[in-house]
Amino acid sequence: MGERISSPRALLRGVPITIWMLCLVAVPLGYTLLISFFQVEGLQIAAKLTIKNYRQFFTDPMYSGILLKSILLSLAIAVLGILTGYPLAYMLSFRVRRGKQALFMLSIIPLWVSYLVRIIAWRTILGNKGVINSALTAIGLIQEPLSFLLYNRFAIAVTLTYICIPFVFIPVYTALEKIPRNIMEASSDLGAGEFRTFLNVVLPLSLPGLVTGFIFAFIIALGDYIIPQQLGGTQGIMFGNLIWSQFGFAFNWPFGAALSFILLAISVTILGLTSRFGSTEGGFLSE
Amino acid sequence: MSEENAIELRGVKKAWGDVIAVQAFDIGIRKGEFFSLLGPSGCGKTTTLRMIAGLEEPTGGQILLEGHDVSRVPAYRRNVHTVFQDYALFPHMTVRKNIWFPLKMRGVSLADARPRIDRVLRLVNMEGFERRLPQQLSGGQRQRIALARSLVDEPAALLLDEPLGALDFKLRGAMQKVLKDIQRDVGITFVYVTHDQTEALTMSDRIAVMKSGRVHQIGTPDEIYSRPATAFVASFIGEMNFLHGHRLPAEGEVPRAEVGGHRLRASRSTLTGTPAAGEEILVCIRTERVQVNSHRGTEHELQGTVRRIVYRGTDYEVTCDLAGQEVRAVVSAVDWNAVLHTGSPARLGFNSADITLFPGAEEKEIVQYSTEAV
Repeated sequence: MGERISSPRALLRGVPITIWMLCLVAVPLGYTLLISFFQVEGLQIAAKLTIKNYRQFFTDPMYSGILLKSILLSLAIAVLGILTGYPLAYMLSFRVRRGKQALFMLSIIPLWVSYLVRIIAWRTILGNKGVINSALTAIGLIQEPLSFLLYNRFAIAVTLTYICIPFVFIPVYTALEKIPRNIMEASSDLGAGEFRTFLNVVLPLSLPGLVTGFIFAFIIALGDYIIPQQLGGTQGIMFGNLIWSQFGFAFNWPFGAALSFILLAISVTILGLTSRFGSTEGGFLSE
Repeated sequence: MSEENAIELRGVKKAWGDVIAVQAFDIGIRKGEFFSLLGPSGCGKTTTLRMIAGLEEPTGGQILLEGHDVSRVPAYRRNVHTVFQDYALFPHMTVRKNIWFPLKMRGVSLADARPRIDRVLRLVNMEGFERRLPQQLSGGQRQRIALARSLVDEPAALLLDEPLGALDFKLRGAMQKVLKDIQRDVGITFVYVTHDQTEALTMSDRIAVMKSGRVHQIGTPDEIYSRPATAFVASFIGEMNFLHGHRLPAEGEVPRAEVGGHRLRASRSTLTGTPAAGEEILVCIRTERVQVNSHRGTEHELQGTVRRIVYRGTDYEVTCDLAGQEVRAVVSAVDWNAVLHTGSPARLGFNSADITLFPGAEEKEIVQYSTEAV
């Protein structure tokens, strides 16, 4: 659509964003890619090119096993995020008349609270002497505290889903708000009840928002290493922890960089596949 | 009321809190009728339409569709469809799927629906557009698709909410004819909301004229135009002179009034009771009924002075001063004699058959348009 030949002014306008992208995306990524082909000699990173790091990943099944588990868990978290965030956005967009602004703010307010504080809050909810166990013990439903609540993948899933809800909620809510209300009236007028209006009109038109929310949740879950570390216990090692440990403990930056790049490649592939579902037939919301 | 009514409103009213949108009124809309709700914006015509559609719940009264009370029936179970002003086509569906939608909701598969879809597309003259998306169509084309979508499952009535409002002038005229033809072909009851008096007059079988939530008059276009029930109706439709006058005792059956020292006989009057001394009234004469320096004899001939002449293509609008009040006359360009100019004396003639008297209190209801309502 756009013209191929740009005026000098137009080119000039593109300079800041280009510098921005170069400094914050291209250079760091390029550097990471570069050192992923380096190796460690003693405590020094030696600039000798090798594919050893990548070979290590593909030969040791432990790495790919953790990667697969991480991807599956992240997908599950993204799905859970949609299942909780979408209804919230739907209710707020279509059902709430009064106090819509206030409820919107309440929905995104967790984003203003420190990440660590929220994680610790969940530990106090799920822990052996936490809110859930204390309550259940108090009313006599259980004698021993439930141990499956904390220090496992369940805890990671619950907490990460909670973290992701605002990131699902915001794009879905925006997409829902963009749907002209008279289109929903037309649907009702033409014989569709609320559920069929949802299936035939609201869902397809909010699909771009839903896919965006899904992608956000998936990326956040896949890249996170603090929540698995804090709440995951022994079985809760995610791929993010693996990368982090290469940089933080093992001082094997080249291997960490290689793992990062493998994760990046897989995320980009998954995102590419998902975003295809994001455009509706008319590309209504893709503009 | 009779079973011939497709739609019947009994004491239907709507209020939002203290604000009354539609005051209780009754209408029976006959089967196959082209019925218009006409009025300025905010008169409650769209609210009335939305109550019939089920998109708005009435505060009181009953709505009957084909004899059944549907007041508490949700919109999706009512056998009427709305054509929205901005079409409300589903942006993510092709023309074919848009039109299929009401049939799909009745469990008709796309394959079974095809002949019916093709038929309505032919009806609105849009064959060959099945695979287009709404945003690939022009305004007039979208309008036709919206119409086709509403007609495809043959509802009891079609509710049209200013469907031509978003179209430009020429296209509007063309679409008026298309709509009227389609309505005649399919024989479905049309309830048509508009603020455009010309549209209502040319297309409707009957019109309900509304203002501020109140129905002023229900009647055929001719009744509305020549026998307006209130000063508002008289002012809203066509071009009308409103003169301040005083009520005189009737002469037998003939109501009489005095304007600027002239005694006038009227044909109609909505005045009630016995005339009080100096009772102020409105004396109405259509602008096209006022003759200027005409050789045709008229019952009343009054002397005035030309104040303004406006050329309007097919005619001239001559504004005259008559004892301190303005009287507008429309003189066809064919009859025009160039003798008239600003300041020249003019003989204003009209017949008592063209004079209607309204209570002076209705003056605040008058809508004055110097030219046609746009």
